[in-house]
Amino acid sequence: MTGRDGWTPESAALVRPYVITKGRNLPDEDALSLLTLVTASAEDTRRPARLSPEEQSLLDLCSAGYLSVAEIAGHTHFPLGVVRILLASLMEGGHLLTRPPVARARLADREILEEVLNGLRAKFG
Amino acid sequence: MTEYTANPLLWVLLVALVAAAVLVSRQRRAARALRQQVEGLRDRYTQLENNYGKSVQAAQERAEDETKTVLKSAMRTLQGLAAEQQLVLSRLQSKYGESALLEDLLEIDHTNSQFGRRAQSVAVLCDGWLGGRRDTASVYDVVRSAQGRIRHFRRVDILSRVDFGITSRAVEPVALALAELLDNATSYSSPDTVVEINIRTVPKGICVVVDDAGVGMSDEERARADKLLATERASGVAALGNPPQFGFAVIGLLCERFGFEVSVDSSSPYGGVRAVVLLPHDMLTAMPEKKAPAPADRPTARPVPDAGPEAVPAASRTDDGLPRRRRKRPMAIVPGSASAPRPAGRSDSEQARVMGAFQRGTRSGRGTEPENAENAENADRTSSTPGASSEGHEVS
Repeated sequence: MTGRDGWTPESAALVRPYVITKGRNLPDEDALSLLTLVTASAEDTRRPARLSPEEQSLLDLCSAGYLSVAEIAGHTHFPLGVVRILLASLMEGGHLLTRPPVARARLADREILEEVLNGLRAKFG
Repeated sequence: MTEYTANPLLWVLLVALVAAAVLVSRQRRAARALRQQVEGLRDRYTQLENNYGKSVQAAQERAEDETKTVLKSAMRTLQGLAAEQQLVLSRLQSKYGESALLEDLLEIDHTNSQFGRRAQSVAVLCDGWLGGRRDTASVYDVVRSAQGRIRHFRRVDILSRVDFGITSRAVEPVALALAELLDNATSYSSPDTVVEINIRTVPKGICVVVDDAGVGMSDEERARADKLLATERASGVAALGNPPQFGFAVIGLLCERFGFEVSVDSSSPYGGVRAVVLLPHDMLTAMPEKKAPAPADRPTARPVPDAGPEAVPAASRTDDGLPRRRRKRPMAIVPGSASAPRPAGRSDSEQARVMGAFQRGTRSGRGTEPENAENAENADRTSSTPGASSEGHEVS
């Protein structure tokens, strides 16, 4: 699937994804979209031992700063939905913080910009 | 004397005597022959009886063997199909990972795993193929693999782990035996209880302790379980009853064949059964190297997310060999974020010049008709492809 060594078509993964997600359902698309930014919460310094290895590795990925959900999924070999489920459960546990995705650039109203420019020109030069 | 010899009666008597003697001896001989014959017959009879018993037994064994052979090859087909389906499901899961379809795919995957386990169990009873793994796996992963093969896997809770791996040869048998134990544990306890698993190191190896809060086993059931788990194995596929109760028979066979121990003779603190799987040292290895992104090189002190570039650790790599991405700079474009401190040393007029340049740049870059809402919308859409792709998947 990912072309790694040891990932041969003859043997499927030992631990199936539904066990890793503990049978949870997919989170809402609004709560955790592809572009949502995720980071490890700052106050969460102690790493609970109860987290599964997959959850811990996700926390590790997120620990250096904000990453989008899509990026995180790219770093793991799990399907995106599985990553979203894991992230959602980490959020519930308070281990992760999210930000809404970066808003799409809106074209600013030209007239306002011109007025601002005029104002700036009038003031500075 | 002569009158005696002349007496015909004497001769008659003599003749009669001789005849009688001959007769008696012949009778004796005949009786002896008869006795011998009877004895021979009796021997023959017992021999025949033995032969009959033997041939019946042989016939039974042959029938059992034939059943086993048939079942074995049938199960092999089923196991192969289940494994194949699992691969197809894995592929589908990564293909449709972002759609709502994934939940259903995971559900099918779960059912397929149970199906595969059933086929494996029957195969074990028929001395068949178990399906192998080439890699060692951590004890924790083997337990989770077992967890995934039963229906009520959500009720299983793994409370502790150890840093040991299981040799590749033992991965499947241990997983299958544990799955059978967990299946029993979840089937014979009420649906709202949790089945707890504790993994402990003991002097003899590693113990996997399965505690359920069920009703426990009666003495009779316990005796049967002990018998099946001990060397005295089930007398074959035919003796499993209807509906067949594989569980302990399968576990017993696996223990015998692969050399680990399972006992169910204690009761759990919750009133149910405590099953203990003892994995001896020769089954254990060091923790396998993680193929999945590993928590191995966990930084002890995590850098604060918004720290400057100096605080960013050297670019590490994921276990896939991809460079792990670190943010070089804090993201300040997002509203509400803790924005980067404004670089000092820039005067207000400089700032204004920058703003002006920016504005000119956007104007020239935007080209004609910036008011055209439709154009703007199009430009907007093409400029953010990830968003567009996510929308596309929402539709599917």
